Amino acid sequence: MKQVWSVIRREYVERVKTRAFILSTLGMPLLIIGIMAVVGFVAVLSEQSERQIALIDLNGQLGERVQQALDRAGYDVELAAPGTGTEDLDQQVLDEELEAYIVLDDTTASEAVFAYRSKEPPGGVRSQLMRAAIVEEVVDLRLGQLEDGESVRRLFQGGSLEYEPVGLDEEEAEEAEAERITGVITGIAGGIILYIMMLAYGAQTLQSVLEEKQSRVVELVISSLRPWQLMLGKIVGVGAVGLTQVAIWIGCVALLASLALPTLIAAASDFEELAQFRQYLPGPGAVLLLVVFFLLGYFLYSSLFAAVGAMCRNLQEAGQTQAPLIFLIIIPFMLQMMTFQGNNMQWMNWVALFPFFSPIMMYPRAVMGDVPAWMVAVSIVLMALTVWGSSWVAGRIYKVGILSQGNRPSPRELLRWIREA
Amino acid sequence: MTQNGTVVRLSGVRKTFGAHTAVDDFDLAIEPGTIYGLLGPNGSGKTTTIRMMMGILLPDGGSVELFGGAPDFARRSRVGYLPEERGVYEKMKVLDQLVFFGEIRGVARPLARTRAEEWLERLGLSEWASKKVQALSKGMQQKVQFISTVLHDPELLILDEPFSGLDPINQDVLEEIVLEERERGKTILFSTHLMEQAERLCERVCLISRARKVLDDDLKELKRRERTGVVAVEFEGEAPPVATWPGVSEVEEAGDELHLTLRDGVPTDELLAQVAAEGASLRRFELLEPRLHEIFVRHAGEPAEDDAPSRTGGVS
Repeated sequence: MKQVWSVIRREYVERVKTRAFILSTLGMPLLIIGIMAVVGFVAVLSEQSERQIALIDLNGQLGERVQQALDRAGYDVELAAPGTGTEDLDQQVLDEELEAYIVLDDTTASEAVFAYRSKEPPGGVRSQLMRAAIVEEVVDLRLGQLEDGESVRRLFQGGSLEYEPVGLDEEEAEEAEAERITGVITGIAGGIILYIMMLAYGAQTLQSVLEEKQSRVVELVISSLRPWQLMLGKIVGVGAVGLTQVAIWIGCVALLASLALPTLIAAASDFEELAQFRQYLPGPGAVLLLVVFFLLGYFLYSSLFAAVGAMCRNLQEAGQTQAPLIFLIIIPFMLQMMTFQGNNMQWMNWVALFPFFSPIMMYPRAVMGDVPAWMVAVSIVLMALTVWGSSWVAGRIYKVGILSQGNRPSPRELLRWIREA
Repeated sequence: MTQNGTVVRLSGVRKTFGAHTAVDDFDLAIEPGTIYGLLGPNGSGKTTTIRMMMGILLPDGGSVELFGGAPDFARRSRVGYLPEERGVYEKMKVLDQLVFFGEIRGVARPLARTRAEEWLERLGLSEWASKKVQALSKGMQQKVQFISTVLHDPELLILDEPFSGLDPINQDVLEEIVLEERERGKTILFSTHLMEQAERLCERVCLISRARKVLDDDLKELKRRERTGVVAVEFEGEAPPVATWPGVSEVEEAGDELHLTLRDGVPTDELLAQVAAEGASLRRFELLEPRLHEIFVRHAGEPAEDDAPSRTGGVS
């Protein structure tokens, strides 16, 4: 066991030290922050125009209301003096004195359709903000002419389902709701983490095995270690690297949340709701379950990836041979994405019991409360049994494979390896 | 360290890979404290034999014993094994790598470190200790591999082609170390296709050809037995008419020397007496021992190639 520990340490230390690890660990959050910053910056920049936007009211009812509404939306719009014609404004646009002007006419007053005349089309943000502002004013105008305008307005806002829990007081009901939201967030995040870990670090296990085999260092190692000890050490070592990376990412998010969020809330009251995020943090049960699913899922796949690495002579061969494993990871992820989008069909709960799909499909279901507890328990037992079986098979393939320099085995040869190892 | 009993014993060992028989009906016994040479051309089954000793391959027939028992991990940990197909962790630092190998062979980390540093010092690699292995030349990498096999101070060294790839200076260094380890009571088995090396180092040799053992004997004993009755002589000044002498059947010129083949049963004393009778003065007179290479060729019926292509394919 001490030797396994040495293998784990070597695998971990050598991997964490590499530039690739440091870059991918720091790069990922920086990349996401960077993309968000650039997108935000570009959006803001495109809205800061030096030139004027004018407004011409041919209907005579909306002009001032719309001007104020656009002002609230952040556009400083000049209302054209009565009697100004569209020809004049067109000329000003052509002379680049005006960037654009908005025409409010009878159709606008009845259907909220308005013209935006300019040499350049408006950006997405501008279209949305202007349309929203003008629609609201038109709706107000029209409703103001009705007797029960206020209730119609509420109807327009879409109505709502109001859940009234029976037997719970208000506070308890709120807690239950928070729990549900927590389940959804934890389920999505957990599913994605499991997916990335199994795919990325399974592949790393394969690479590590292949490197040792290709460089022939494996024979030096194997004279002092049992093959399964080496395989176990590798899998645990690589997995620990993966956990380190995820821990660093989660740490970054936590840091960002605790430092950046208060600033954001102070700056814009719209973000106040975010302050409640703490109540949505997953409880210890969900975290523990994630660890269980991670351990089983990662071990299941990485032992098979190790076997693939031991079978092949180089990365090209390994690339082809690992394809079935990759599919086994991607398929449940696709199915799970469908579930997240709200297409959860009953039969999918049964699909989630398939041990190779369970990490990605059963964990989110478990924390969202979509499946009964017994199903989760059955899935964990099934996975444990599969891990036991697959690591037995993988260990045997590994044992023969790492010392074989011949061709990749055919399925028949593979069976012989497994039988005779 | 005292060793009792046979260190390695193979009895009737056989190993096949598909239709190819790599080792057939092989017997071998290595006694403690000897330097044993496993000789043979490339592809003759040396590596397969060694891998079976190390329990890496299981024989299809016969039995393999290490220190009087099956080659399990406890016994294997008493062996320092340098495989023929040896690699390194290229991206690891030299010292880290050695400490790792020490550790997996059961040496505590601090001790492994001390020993590794001592060995690096001894093999002149100290300044490379914190360099990545890939920065080292092939020869230096090989020295690192050698250190990794002796770091746990094993009782038995099994070295598969330890000298290949080393320059003459480093070959000498390694030979010296092998001899020293023997002095310290270690048993050494090494395989080679270089007969010269074997001739210098081995006390006992085993010749393999085409999967079978052809010879297994004490080297001195073997040479004495294989002696062909050739005497090398060199005279001061004019050589006497040796070809006409009754005891001589054949004369061959070799530079300044003459190689005289004696007729069967003629003692060397008779030749010396003849020289004295002729009044010639000798500069050199030596009963030539056959070279291992010749013995090998004689028994194996094929030359021990020095640069044949290495084995390919299969779990060999």
